[in-house]
Amino acid sequence: MDAIAKSARGATQLLTGNEAVAWGARLARPQVCPVYPITPQTPVLETLTAFQAEGTFDAEIITPESEHSVMSACIPASLAGTRVFTATASQGLLLMHELLHYASGARAPIVMANVNRTVASPWAFWPDQTDSLAQRDTGWVQLYVESAQEALDSVIQAFRVAEQALLPVMVSLDAFYVSHAMEPVDVPAQADVDAFLPPFAPERRLDTAQPSSWGNVVSQDMYYRHRQAIEEAMARVPALLAQADGDWQRRFGRGWGVVERYRCDGAQAVVVTMGSMCGTARVAVDDMREAGLPVGLVKVRLFRPLPVAALRAACAGVRDVVVLDRNHSPGAGGVLHQELRAALYGTTNAPRIHGLLAGVGGVNVPPRKIAEFVREARDSEPRPESVWVR
Amino acid sequence: MNSIPPIWTTATTESIRTGTWRAALPRHVQASSPCREACPVSGDIATWIGLARERDFRGAWEALTRHNPFPAIAGRICHHPCEAACNRAGFDEALSICKLERFVGDLAIERGWAFEAPTVEREERVAIVGGGPAGLSAAFQLRRLGYRVTLVEARGELGGLMRHGIPSYRLAREVLDAEVARVVALGVDVRLNAKPEAAPAWAELRRTHDAVFVATGAQRQKRLPALDYGQPWVADGAAWLASANAGEIPALGKRLVVIGGGSAALDVARSARRAGHEVTLLALEARGQMPAQREEVDEALEEGIALVDGAMLQEASHAGGEVRLACRRVRFVPGERRGQFSVVPFADGAFELRADAIVTSIGQDPDTAALGDGVALDGSLVAVDAQQATARDDTWAGGDVASMARFVTDAIGQGKRAAFAIDRALRARRGEAPAAERWRPGPAAAIAIEASVPLPAIATHAYAPQARAAARRLEPAARLASGAEVQLALDIEQALAETTRCFSCGTCIRCDTCVAVCPDLAVVREGDGYRVLGDYCKGCGLCVKECPTGSMDMVQEVR
Amino acid sequence: MIAIAPVQDEMLCSGHAACPGCIDALAARHILAAMGPDTMAVIPPSCMAIIAGPQPMSSLKIPVYQPTLESSAAAASGLRRALDAQGKRDTQVLVLAGDGGTYDIGFQCLSSAAERNEDILYVCLDNEGYMNTGAQKSSSTPHFARTGSTPSGKLSRKKNMVEIMAAHGIPYVATASASHLADLRYKVEKAKAIRGTRFITVLIPCLDGWGLPDDAGLTAARYAVESGAFPLYEIEDGARVTLNVTARPRPVADYLALQRRYRGMAEADVATLQAEVDAAWEALERRAAAGAAAPA
Repeated sequence: MDAIAKSARGATQLLTGNEAVAWGARLARPQVCPVYPITPQTPVLETLTAFQAEGTFDAEIITPESEHSVMSACIPASLAGTRVFTATASQGLLLMHELLHYASGARAPIVMANVNRTVASPWAFWPDQTDSLAQRDTGWVQLYVESAQEALDSVIQAFRVAEQALLPVMVSLDAFYVSHAMEPVDVPAQADVDAFLPPFAPERRLDTAQPSSWGNVVSQDMYYRHRQAIEEAMARVPALLAQADGDWQRRFGRGWGVVERYRCDGAQAVVVTMGSMCGTARVAVDDMREAGLPVGLVKVRLFRPLPVAALRAACAGVRDVVVLDRNHSPGAGGVLHQELRAALYGTTNAPRIHGLLAGVGGVNVPPRKIAEFVREARDSEPRPESVWVR
Repeated sequence: MNSIPPIWTTATTESIRTGTWRAALPRHVQASSPCREACPVSGDIATWIGLARERDFRGAWEALTRHNPFPAIAGRICHHPCEAACNRAGFDEALSICKLERFVGDLAIERGWAFEAPTVEREERVAIVGGGPAGLSAAFQLRRLGYRVTLVEARGELGGLMRHGIPSYRLAREVLDAEVARVVALGVDVRLNAKPEAAPAWAELRRTHDAVFVATGAQRQKRLPALDYGQPWVADGAAWLASANAGEIPALGKRLVVIGGGSAALDVARSARRAGHEVTLLALEARGQMPAQREEVDEALEEGIALVDGAMLQEASHAGGEVRLACRRVRFVPGERRGQFSVVPFADGAFELRADAIVTSIGQDPDTAALGDGVALDGSLVAVDAQQATARDDTWAGGDVASMARFVTDAIGQGKRAAFAIDRALRARRGEAPAAERWRPGPAAAIAIEASVPLPAIATHAYAPQARAAARRLEPAARLASGAEVQLALDIEQALAETTRCFSCGTCIRCDTCVAVCPDLAVVREGDGYRVLGDYCKGCGLCVKECPTGSMDMVQEVR
Repeated sequence: MIAIAPVQDEMLCSGHAACPGCIDALAARHILAAMGPDTMAVIPPSCMAIIAGPQPMSSLKIPVYQPTLESSAAAASGLRRALDAQGKRDTQVLVLAGDGGTYDIGFQCLSSAAERNEDILYVCLDNEGYMNTGAQKSSSTPHFARTGSTPSGKLSRKKNMVEIMAAHGIPYVATASASHLADLRYKVEKAKAIRGTRFITVLIPCLDGWGLPDDAGLTAARYAVESGAFPLYEIEDGARVTLNVTARPRPVADYLALQRRYRGMAEADVATLQAEVDAAWEALERRAAAGAAAPA
């Protein structure tokens, strides 16, 4: 069956996470795709260019000399009113840093997949979320996905949320565990995706027919108001995502939530984590439940803006929260740990929060280790700083 | 919901009044030019050259003749101080203004262009005594203003010095006749062979006219005290020239020494050369000091006249059938006023010349005896003020009778000045406002200023170096054989090329440079001129600096 | 005689914040007029960005996108492709960047855009230094010029950006000067009619940075051309060289004498600079002669 036929009808394919991302991008019909290759994102680029070569993808693909130029190209393309997609990883994301701020400041609803990879130096090529978490203040909406299927679905949902909020969205998937792991993926039909995602038609854009400009120097007052407007847009994102995901679920029979609660009913302890670690944690939770321990998993799918209300609800009545951070913010420890402490601070009967630096640098964290961490947490006093564990 | 960021830029900067930044504001001006300042008739030279450049030769002629009814004459014999003053001289070579004037003047004669009749006729009568350049110029201007003009001329033909002083090889008679006739055709009451000889005649003129302009010239020959003018081998230059110009060459032998350094002496010498004489010119001044035009001297030398400059005659005697002139080398020291000088003889500078006769042409004084009561004198001249008014409130004077500036165009300019002064006076008697003296040739939007534009005010980079139109002269042999005009006219290609060399100093050519070079789009074309937008002009001065004609200037502003 | 084409369809507005006498604004005015209304501008941080106006007021009548300093050509590429995707292939994308944003920090992405032959017109408004930050050196600053970061005069020569761009083999590379407005307009119009990456660097004397009176910007630009310090030429398809102004009537010393940034320059240094200019000029003349002889 050729690709076009598959796309029209929808079908299950065996795809890696990267291929699923490319399929998600293809189905979202972006018009401009500046992209630069970097391990382990490269297959996204090559899948897209292969789609274009076979005639199933007609976006303008730009292949500049750097990720910096990729993002530089993305922003005005988006402001011109075209749907823009790109993908990167690690160093590439870091090189984009300045432009990430620029994109959100420009209210450019770009969607970018980021394959989470360790940041240098020294050189390493393992799953680690430090690259994207280091961009948490850049004004991008951040989603972390657990699987290839979620990656595909999230890219499409991301466009809907981005274009409604006029904010850029980053969809992060862990290197190799998700990016290169192959699994059966339901690829929706193009028409079904089109029905879910209307064409991008911003009211204001760069257009010679109605000349207006972006980027002129503003006053203190305008800058202040502009930042307020970004914050207001961010605040709408959890609801917009929930709405998009709900709609997706109605149309395609699966949803991913904003914050997923897995077997949390009656849980005295919950594991909180993001990305591929969630898959491992599910197994650990199943094992612990089987052993009679009331333990659940809280999967943080939307990290930026942090869905504080949903997290507070998810953690209400839980005695111990065990945060697994596959990232490292020197001097602060685990980023999710710190974020969660801040989110739960001041709530009545706040849970005890245990921050564990587990899996940093791609170190393997098997299910039994997670069960071990939960047991140790239950029996010890929580510490304000994150703890290195393996 | 798609919320529109409030931060796009949708308006223009035109609401920002950057004009508040400046300390000086440029303006579009119609300024004077060095050529006009130097011009004896204050001609709007840049204007008529500009019209000629656009091939509007009729317009050029009309602009020219507003100041001078004799462009074909002046184009031949003017001493053209305009060219000495020309800003272009500081770039490559001065413009050939005089030749261009001749081109336009000749074209007017060829095509038979006539002056338009006055638009109003006035009751007042003005008597002009003297039909030379000053008198004719005044008659022309006064007729154009509508006055009834009586022109009294002692001789049988109009033209004065232009006819009996200037030889036809410099000024062809048909040119003189044509331009004089055109003035008369304006309706001048000409009385030839008439001359107020004594006080009663002047009184009668004053009784029958509202104003009198005296332009009788300078007829009385100056003479060298060392010479006995009773001798047959001594002659007066002006008399000799008048005879020669009338076709009657006095018989004076083969070899002539002509004494004098001015145009009149050159005219005598060159006319004598054409009559077959061997001519030596003895001038008191060194060659560069001679009041004659340099071209005249050059041409005389080409024609085989021997020049002995910086020398004076001490004594002349007739012996052995020839005249012996005892001469001495001297240093000529000009005095403070024109016509005044002293000489310092060189101790061992004695030498002798031999000839058959001597003709002196060292200047003329006016005959002022019969002008009547109340006309004060200044030395040998009638005393006049800057407006040619004499001490009598009904009498004005101009030309050689009142001035040591003895060039034809000086006289024309004085005639013009007198005419406007008479007009002002006569209108004042009736309580009328004076007529505009100067025709403003510039764009209506331009502010007229009197200052002259210096070379640094011209953006000379706008012009490519281009050689001055070559002066063409008849070959010396042909000149002597035919007696034809020495100076040849420019052809139309030469003339048009020459017009493009003009910097148009102070006269806007509407090239839009001021508009094009403004970074603030603050200069706009308006009608036939330019307007500076005070709301936006930051006062940088680029429009002034880059103007190829010096037609923008800066005015300081106090806020 | 004087021949300046009348300015029509102005695309720059009055009221902008350029210094009095600013040649940047003047050049932009003519470039924009030549480009016309179906154009989008990309203007990175630079004097031109200030001239473009404080939000919500623009001095340009066309849409402007202001990217980061180092990303003009990349941004222009993105804009170009977005327009292409929308079927607006005739809409021009015009970069108006400074020399800092072109020769230095923006060089990498410019080279990349040129390599891809993106359909953009990139105009470098070259004032030979970081003038918007108060005059520090850029790699476009000429030998011996004093700036805030080279107070004793720059020790190295100006980068030859024109040759670098031409070496990409793009269809059109040219220099231009606001002192030669007709030539500038001609080049912009010529470039406008070409598809692919086009690069024009326009010499912009900076009154403040070079030390010039308010009315002397065009004089300095003119002297730069007349001395051969900034020759006006075009290189087409990386090969055909046309020297637009072939006369060089003025010594470099004339040009230097106008500017405070060369104050107190040693005679030997003037001679060195003259020799550098002579050598570059002669090389250019040879290439122009060779280019004229080669089949088009």
